[in-house]
Amino acid sequence: MRQETKEYKFDWMLWNTFAAASRLKSGSPKEYQAMLKYIPYFSRIVDTILSTGEPGQKFIEICSKYMENLTFAKEKGKKTAITTFCFSPAIFYAMDIVPICLEVLSVMMTFIYKRGTSEFLDYCNEVGFTETSCSSQRGTVGAYLAGIGTDVDMFVTDTPGVCDTNANAFSFASAYLNKPFFQLDMPPDLTGQRSNEYHREDFRALIRFLEAQTGKKLDYARLTENLRELARQDEIIAELEDLARIVPSPVPVPYNLMIYASRFLFAGMPECTGVLESMLKVARDNAAKNISGLSGGKEKLRAFFCYIDHYAQNMQLWQMLDDNGICYQGNILSHFWSHNAPHVAHYHKEDAAYHIDTSSEDALIDSLGMINSRMPMIKSIRGPYDAPNMWLEDTLGLAKIYNADFIVYNGTPGCRNTWGMVKLLARDTEKAGYPTYIMYADAFDSRVQSWEATEERFMEFLKVRRLV
Amino acid sequence: MIKEFIEASTALNNKYVAAWKKDGKKVVGYTCSYVPDEIFHAAGILPFRVRGFGATDTTIGDTYFGPFICSLPKCMLQLAGEGKFNFLDGAIITPGCDSMRRLDECWRKAGKDIEGAIPSFFFHYGVPHKYEDYTIKWFTEETRRLIAAVEEHFNVKITDANLKKAISVYNESRRLLDRFEALRTLDEPPFSGEEALAVILAGTTMPREEYNTLLEEFIAQAEKSPGIKNRVRLMLVGSANDDIGLVRVMEGEKALVVADNLCFGSRFYTDQVGENGDPVFELSKRYLGHNDCPRMYGDYQRRLNILEQKVKRAKIDGVVLQNIRFCDLHGAENGIFERDLEAKDIPCMRLEREYGPLVETGRMKMRVDAFIERIQQRREVA
Repeated sequence: MRQETKEYKFDWMLWNTFAAASRLKSGSPKEYQAMLKYIPYFSRIVDTILSTGEPGQKFIEICSKYMENLTFAKEKGKKTAITTFCFSPAIFYAMDIVPICLEVLSVMMTFIYKRGTSEFLDYCNEVGFTETSCSSQRGTVGAYLAGIGTDVDMFVTDTPGVCDTNANAFSFASAYLNKPFFQLDMPPDLTGQRSNEYHREDFRALIRFLEAQTGKKLDYARLTENLRELARQDEIIAELEDLARIVPSPVPVPYNLMIYASRFLFAGMPECTGVLESMLKVARDNAAKNISGLSGGKEKLRAFFCYIDHYAQNMQLWQMLDDNGICYQGNILSHFWSHNAPHVAHYHKEDAAYHIDTSSEDALIDSLGMINSRMPMIKSIRGPYDAPNMWLEDTLGLAKIYNADFIVYNGTPGCRNTWGMVKLLARDTEKAGYPTYIMYADAFDSRVQSWEATEERFMEFLKVRRLV
Repeated sequence: MIKEFIEASTALNNKYVAAWKKDGKKVVGYTCSYVPDEIFHAAGILPFRVRGFGATDTTIGDTYFGPFICSLPKCMLQLAGEGKFNFLDGAIITPGCDSMRRLDECWRKAGKDIEGAIPSFFFHYGVPHKYEDYTIKWFTEETRRLIAAVEEHFNVKITDANLKKAISVYNESRRLLDRFEALRTLDEPPFSGEEALAVILAGTTMPREEYNTLLEEFIAQAEKSPGIKNRVRLMLVGSANDDIGLVRVMEGEKALVVADNLCFGSRFYTDQVGENGDPVFELSKRYLGHNDCPRMYGDYQRRLNILEQKVKRAKIDGVVLQNIRFCDLHGAENGIFERDLEAKDIPCMRLEREYGPLVETGRMKMRVDAFIERIQQRREVA
């Protein structure tokens, strides 16, 4: 790692960058354009997000707020927990613990820095972590292993039984830094009494762990408030998802990212609700005017990503889709499994969905257990891909409900779990009539495959399959 | 005597399996050491640990698995596709790791494409990643689910009495293997690491009573045999290895693998199953709690302690921390083992390899030889 990278706390740098970005629009348009020249690696992202108007402005503000929270956590006497995107942070907020979501921070760095997270990815390997592990965690965990992040009090993940490389990153880092570790484990079946009981017992064990780490009892009144806010967020997301089904979709391309990122950062908190409400307002207005969310105004194709996005610098994936009139209909991360989500009702998947019940302390904990066990990825890829409620059923269901013309798989080479079954999935989705493209890029590390090569291959697929 | 073990450990459909099948009895394969063999023994079925040994390419494996997957399940699927596991009447898949758990789907799909590639009984056996009261409870229920499925498919009855008998037979094995382990770690062990692995592996491929008899004879003979002197004493740790040839390459003329911490090795037989109480609960407790695999997240310190004890007991000169490429669980833990063991002045070498035919023999040999030289130089300096 370069000496200059070690000079500043990386999370402090991220906070400063987002804090500055959140103030960019406070000047005149001329001042704004002048400022973009000074942030060459971040300018297109900022411009793309801020060009969405109030939702973009609010989104940048909550990114800044999240980084501020973790940068100053220790000064405020708060505990910090390194956690993962598919772990709902609602419980942390209820217990006054500052969550540090590895993957979201990796995306932030990938967006901002010229070299993305490459130095931290490589640092992990220098200290013994395997290079074949997932870049989504490695990108940020490397900074913490190098000691250039805020002090970490504990590691909490919920991916055992779902994703080894994710769980292993937490296990490795906690052993390396000698910090407490907790895992929520996921049995292979999503539903049924055995799984429900397991989720419940496991979540109770998590609460005991968090109480032991913080020395505080869980504040149920606060948790109730957070879960009510989460229920409100679910309602907004459900309406946005419903609007996305309209042709042309009134939902702008970057909104998918903003929906799931807001949720990963501030589930159950008003910060997330603010961004969602703002997006809903724009989408409703577009729908009322029958306007496409695409900047070109004309929807040519609809893509459904069955796994994750490609976060290479400057949001080039979103830009490519928008430039080509491809309406982006979300991915496995942007679809939550609340009982009121349109895909739940449409496919009668009520047993696979969660309900938020705030009527008693037990109901609150059960709700949390259900939410966590149904987080994106946790829900869909725990069991065999072709089992009920799993990846194939979800992919086909979502692709159909959103009228996708084709399906795309993108992940990282570290994703052992999906790479173990994606060929089978693609075979089945093709049989179901969806041209399916498997990207061989790394969502977080463009050294694996340059964006230029990724884009060329993507467009080649569309041409070969006569989609364009 | 050792020839019997070597044959049983290097041929899939070995003479014991062939004789078993000739008697019209069933064989069920399993992919991971979390599956209690005793269940099958109690049902009169031969439990057989599925391996990838003998695969010469992975064309079939690569058809179903993606590219970034460990070569062990790919080799297993390759052999299944080639009909090398046609003697199996059933197979149990466990979520030992992501690559291995996806063998479930890949094998099922291959079974649809290639006639006879999949046995008629195919079962996904869930295994929790932590050892708590409620996870043991869940695992006990899962074991009962497996028992019910075996009973139904094979039309057998697995009684508590038969389970207790099976536990007793396997515990006898474990006691014998403890004696065997004591011989293996002598200052002058009477057999090589290659031979030791053959003895252990044979236990996963042959009827247990015959194995116990052979093992007892082997131990009695070994106790009288002269020891092997003046070798660098190595311990082999990390990813699954069921290839005695790999150990042979590492040992050469200068070294001896006198201890291991492998799931095909000593991890497979340490600790007894409780013989009192509910046998299903006792089996579940032992199999979930005493397999020291990094898939049990957050338990690094305990595993480090186990290694340190083994290093001390077996007077280890150096530890080979190997992992199959894409085995992040062992690969990553090996990284911290190296840091912590080296800090205690225990020489370590990390080695990434592919599973399967020893295509990398030269590279591996060169690296292990360099490691042995390092140890020898240390000795000279000391």
